Amino acid sequence: MLKFDRGRPIVINFNGKPVKAFETETVAAALYASGVIKFGYSAERHRPRGPFCMIGKCSQCLMRVNGYPHVRTCITPVEDGMVVEYEEGHDAELPLPTKEMLVKREDLEYDAAIIGAGPAGLSAALEASGMGARVLVMDQSPVPGGQLVKQTHKFFGTKETFAGMRGFEIAKMLTDKLRDRENVDVMPSTQVIGYFRREGSLAAFRTDGLGKYTLLRIRAKSIIVATGAMERSLVFPGNDLPGVMGAGAAQTLMNVFGIRPADEPLIIGAGNVGVIVAYQAVQAGIKVKAVIDIAKKSAAYLVHSSKIRRMGIPILMRHTIREAYGKGRVEGATIYKVDDNFHPIKGSEVDIEVDGVWLAVGLTPSIEVLELMEAGIKFVPELGGYVPLRHRNLETTVPGVFVAGDASCIEEASTAMMEGRVAGIAAAMKAGLGGDEHVKRMKEAIKWLDEFRSSPHYRRIREGLFKVTLEGGAS
Amino acid sequence: MPGLEEQRTLESGYVTLDDLRRHGNIPPDEVLESRAVPIFDCIEEIPCTPCRDACPTGAVIMPTMNDKPRVNWEACTGCTLCAQACPGLAITIVNIPFGKKVLKDPAKALVSVPYEILPIPKKGERVALYDRGHRYLGEGEVFSVIRSHKYGTVLINVIVPKEIALEVKFVEVIRDE
Repeated sequence: MLKFDRGRPIVINFNGKPVKAFETETVAAALYASGVIKFGYSAERHRPRGPFCMIGKCSQCLMRVNGYPHVRTCITPVEDGMVVEYEEGHDAELPLPTKEMLVKREDLEYDAAIIGAGPAGLSAALEASGMGARVLVMDQSPVPGGQLVKQTHKFFGTKETFAGMRGFEIAKMLTDKLRDRENVDVMPSTQVIGYFRREGSLAAFRTDGLGKYTLLRIRAKSIIVATGAMERSLVFPGNDLPGVMGAGAAQTLMNVFGIRPADEPLIIGAGNVGVIVAYQAVQAGIKVKAVIDIAKKSAAYLVHSSKIRRMGIPILMRHTIREAYGKGRVEGATIYKVDDNFHPIKGSEVDIEVDGVWLAVGLTPSIEVLELMEAGIKFVPELGGYVPLRHRNLETTVPGVFVAGDASCIEEASTAMMEGRVAGIAAAMKAGLGGDEHVKRMKEAIKWLDEFRSSPHYRRIREGLFKVTLEGGAS
Repeated sequence: MPGLEEQRTLESGYVTLDDLRRHGNIPPDEVLESRAVPIFDCIEEIPCTPCRDACPTGAVIMPTMNDKPRVNWEACTGCTLCAQACPGLAITIVNIPFGKKVLKDPAKALVSVPYEILPIPKKGERVALYDRGHRYLGEGEVFSVIRSHKYGTVLINVIVPKEIALEVKFVEVIRDE
């Protein structure tokens, strides 16, 4: 159902051989499209490894590119004539910046600096800039939109969060709106690496091309951390085989780049992510062998799981994976059934022939920047793990630093957008902007979030939020 | 209130026709026999409102975003907009009088099935009919295809035997080997 404009064809060099690519692709996508699934070796045992997250969060796709070691190939755009090579174990030297590499240095000043250009960050930028704030939005990926760019299904929710539109359409609409605003700078390929507490400024570097970096010092009256989340792995023998990847990574390959990551995958995890990715795999012409989940009951919306059941994809509850096996890549998996206490049921093992194992077993909030800032953090399993304490206006325990989206709690893109609005308004107010109508607007957004979360589906989220929400702040 | 029965359904990952009857999502026979009606495979309280927002006559009743949709059968015109708008592809439109009135064959009915997989079935093509659990129901014929620019989900209008009209939930084009 999608049309792909892959751009001009170019050629890169991989381990001495030419590989065809398209200019809109990342290095990792181009390699995957050409049949490369082995991206490196483990340092100790020299086991082959494949990419896992495809969104710049893990380190499974590091390669040497144009001589530079440890390059994240999944967020590095291809360039004609690029030279890409495997790195082997400890042989790779540390990527210490040299004088030649750091070509520029910039000092920047904004009312609000936003880290992450996903649904939360973009929505925050729209609100804050609408109140007159000068806003910077940074993202480590070369393309803004966060994980909205791979969401091809129509969103649930209400008009306020663009229900009925597809995620990638929402990403385009939000970035188009921001582009028209003079008081907003969207800065892709930019990674925040430090925080100076005394002056409240951020250190970041922008990749302007391989070997061309700009070191940034960003002074901002308020900061919004909208860094999203990372897919979890699962412990089982063979979980490092090429072909085992996050379900979101498979989604990126299919929906952003038009590449089939497998022909007959097994999906582990029958929550919304697992069943939505299964549905999109069918749309991409992939035969999903099964979706399995150790729980008794699927956590997915019934409407989502119904969609794949009517197409004949089995959802096996109380099933999990024993191991994935294969020579150099996934060729099969053994699954088994568990009883009420999650103990294996004897004789229930089944071997299935699959060429991919996609993990949809949850996400972990990306809170590294908040840890750097020494924000108050608490372990709350209901929200996905370690998350920051926050007031109702999403201000953390560090004054002037706000959080929004999956970094605050693993939830939906709809709630990420609404949280982004709350944080955006609160951040602009912190910078001395806005008036009574903005207080009212923020209260409406908080009310919407409360109503959304009143669904029986979000009971655990409600319980989790109760543990991390502090008194005070606008509410 | 549905009890254990419901549990089992949720475990299997889909809604059965019996579930829908118990939840009041299937209209009375006299309504079914007299006009086109939407069948909502939507029995959970989830925050989602596009069907309500798409309805031009206010026939989809949902006081808050988490309420399950209820259809006011008297106000519904069978216009299909809710089926086009539903992000869950959970709504089919069942038109039983269509057989008698348009096809002049009272044993047939028309079912509109939301569809998002290529290739899109074409008018006149034979399709395999499946129920909610992918049980094969027989063959049908594509009467027409509604392409919605506003909502982006295609509706396949399929002629099916009247007695399975409420069960048809998925179609697949039959291609010669």
